[in-house]
Amino acid sequence: MGILVRAVLLCFVGGVLGIAGNALSPHPARLGIPVHAAAESSDAACQDPRASVARVSVVEAKPLCIACTAAFVDARSAQEYAAGHITGAVHLAPGHPAGPLLPKLSAAPTVIVYDRDRDCAAADQVAVLLKSNGVRDVRVLTGAWPEWLAVGGPGESGTCALCTAGGQ
Amino acid sequence: MMARALAVCRIVLGGLFIWAAVTKLPDVAAFAQDVANYRVIPAALVPILAAAVVGIELLAGIALVTGVMERPAAAVLAVLLAAFTGLLTQALLRGIDLRCGCFGGDERASWWTVVRDLVMLAAAVAVARGPSPARTNVTNPA
Repeated sequence: MGILVRAVLLCFVGGVLGIAGNALSPHPARLGIPVHAAAESSDAACQDPRASVARVSVVEAKPLCIACTAAFVDARSAQEYAAGHITGAVHLAPGHPAGPLLPKLSAAPTVIVYDRDRDCAAADQVAVLLKSNGVRDVRVLTGAWPEWLAVGGPGESGTCALCTAGGQ
Repeated sequence: MMARALAVCRIVLGGLFIWAAVTKLPDVAAFAQDVANYRVIPAALVPILAAAVVGIELLAGIALVTGVMERPAAAVLAVLLAAFTGLLTQALLRGIDLRCGCFGGDERASWWTVVRDLVMLAAAVAVARGPSPARTNVTNPA
């Protein structure tokens, strides 16, 4: 039997095994129901059950922004931040040092991190970094920047004055 | 020497794919979401494809480690790795920010992930093209 035939056979058996294994999984994929990208589905946006950081919706976060009872952290690129960000937000992209921002963020009762994409990967990364640096109540904004704009959340543009020590 | 290097490639690659499948099995739904986030596969096909990929990874991994049908298994994994590399590259070039879905955790897709996949792809191609153990024994009994 040729290598190609055996490879196809292996794929077939493996595929059947995978579908059977899925039925036994504690969290199976629902085979008959289409799965859309998180960024294309506002309902599923950022709702990852494995997420280690608490979530906050734009509806909950908007009053916190207006009342200045939460600090906001923008995890997008510096260019995106400069073009427009949540009013009062500081800029901290993944991989950048959090040090210069820690005094301000540690003093805030709640810190809300957001990014551009609705799967929140960059925001999650920054949120984990802040938590590991001792910031206590850190949450990730579901729906990210696009949904903030959609609900008319307060915004401003310009560079981050507080972040200059980190070269951002 | 060459046969020994190929055997190491085969066992390491097989072990990695067994590990990849085992980490996905407890939460196939999350893996399906990771696959969907690449925004290439039609939404209706995502769940069945995700479940099938986990089974194929497991079976091919076991085949490589045990040496049973190791060349067809390596060929299958080479095709899978080429597909993964293509998916990752297009996502990164399009600026899609996502988890790679490689080993079931929170690992973020990056160019490092692409390099890692290319290294594994090279190993899979080497095993798929290399001599089978039976032929190796005939030409080199040691």
